[in-house]
Amino acid sequence: MDARAPHDVSDVLRKLAVVFTQFEGRLEQTPLIRKLTRGRFELADYRAFLINLRQQVKEGALWMSRAASNVDDVHLELRSKLMRHAVTEHRDFRLLEADYVATGGTLEDITNAEKNIGSEAVSAWMFHEASQPNPFGLLGAMWIIEGLGSIKAQEWGRMAQQRLSLPETAVRFLLYHGENDSQHIEEFQEMLALVLPDERVAKRIVRTAEVTARLYALQIEEIA
Amino acid sequence: MSKDVFITGCGSYLPGEPVTNDAMEDHIGRIHGKPSLLGRRALRWNGIETRHYALDSDGKPFDSNAGMSAKATEAALADAGLGVEDLSFLAAATTQGDYLVPGHATAVHGALGKRSMEIASFQSVCGSSLMAAKSAWLNIRAGEHKIAAACAGEFSSRWFRPSFYEGTALVDEKGRARAEADFLRFTLSDGAGAILLEDQPRRDGVSLKVELIDIVSLADRFDPCMWAGASVENRAAISDGWSISGPLAAHAQGAIALLQDFELLKRVIRAWVGVYLEKVDVKRIIPDSVDWLLCHYSAKSLREEIVSLLEKTDAMIPQQKWFSNLPRVGNIGSASIWVMLDEFLKSGRLKRGERVLCVVPESGRALVGFMMLEAV
Repeated sequence: MDARAPHDVSDVLRKLAVVFTQFEGRLEQTPLIRKLTRGRFELADYRAFLINLRQQVKEGALWMSRAASNVDDVHLELRSKLMRHAVTEHRDFRLLEADYVATGGTLEDITNAEKNIGSEAVSAWMFHEASQPNPFGLLGAMWIIEGLGSIKAQEWGRMAQQRLSLPETAVRFLLYHGENDSQHIEEFQEMLALVLPDERVAKRIVRTAEVTARLYALQIEEIA
Repeated sequence: MSKDVFITGCGSYLPGEPVTNDAMEDHIGRIHGKPSLLGRRALRWNGIETRHYALDSDGKPFDSNAGMSAKATEAALADAGLGVEDLSFLAAATTQGDYLVPGHATAVHGALGKRSMEIASFQSVCGSSLMAAKSAWLNIRAGEHKIAAACAGEFSSRWFRPSFYEGTALVDEKGRARAEADFLRFTLSDGAGAILLEDQPRRDGVSLKVELIDIVSLADRFDPCMWAGASVENRAAISDGWSISGPLAAHAQGAIALLQDFELLKRVIRAWVGVYLEKVDVKRIIPDSVDWLLCHYSAKSLREEIVSLLEKTDAMIPQQKWFSNLPRVGNIGSASIWVMLDEFLKSGRLKRGERVLCVVPESGRALVGFMMLEAV
């Protein structure tokens, strides 16, 4: 059996993989992640991390739903996938809130917190994109955000847990994300195949991944 | 017009007899006389079965880094039908020379003797091999020299002697070395390799035209991943390193040892793959045009998801095109790629017109190098 994807899909996947590794490099340089990797991460940093992740986690299912509502009848399969995806994820922010409370924080603190500048940017960008007809570029955004879930979340969760001796109940969001995504690339490949080959769409997917990665990194940079 | 440059000779030098997995720990010496906690796991992971040490089984050195490097250089010269008297440029690479000062090339040149020449020293980890090769390549390309050698040597085992660890913060109260220190003891070994470059191909036999040497450092984003000269905790703060605290205090802190951060290594591996995919994406490297891959990393150690990603992005070079002698000669750091190339060339597998891609990832501070060769 040939495991290779058709060229149009593999070309986009390759470009997306490059965007993701550059994104990882950028995250590595943010003050918060530097603290984590250099053993200077404190409980206050972990709490700030959860507070600042929450907005985007909460909105993820919302922009995905909006995107689904803008997918035309020719692409019903993609619409189904987006809707299922949104259903799977739309309660995740509750888990994150529970983790926050398990660290000793109050629910009011995390639910009342303002979006940081980067979160504002990510949010505005996502809803803007999702509001376009057939917003297929968002597959690039999903690549970045799901990649965080499958590759970075567990890594960060384990480092934070180890450094701060946190109970399992305080890191469920980060750890649980990691467990969920082994089929990540396979499923993503299938979604790409639903909208490719199309040169314009291919470019848009990569561009959307680049913008999302940059704004997401800004969100992490803004957590002092 | 820059000139074409050809590898016309290749040489290697492996000290002593091969040392088996069962014998290696006693050979380099057990820390506080105890067996390592991680050794077996490290050996399973790196797949190495035998290696060479320039220490005898009592821990006494019978060669030096410079001596081994010079022997490999002489072998490369001989392979090309030349001698030291023909050499006008020597680029020497190593992770750590015999001296702290001056550079490795001075010691190799001293060991070679016979004539004055231009030299250049390159100190990094595995990637220093390609830095030296690039220097030799460009020197000929620019018309500065006609005959140049790039050698690389390692004498890692002397770093693995128990005295480098005992009485330091790297060993706990039970006398066990921490993982950052222990793993590399089961990974790295000694030897040297060299290539000889000329402005014309050999009259007889196959030469390798150098098509490209690309080296990409990602030190802008990563902290040191394999290092010596700073403790595990303070590795990012160079101001706190061995040269500031002084040799005795640095030793006590565990800063005078080769160390590796395995958590970071996982991220660095993804970053290497990212650099490679980028080269493929801009068609600087065309996987389908590669007939042989010599990678200073075993295909076995690549995790399944990385292989899957390479396959799905049309970037995988099929495993039947990989050539490696890593399991038999060990991981010799910067020397590995030349020792591998030497055995590959002498195996007679390569045919004219075929392309060889050499890939040298360096965990040091996240660097990866590529060299594309064409058999002519």
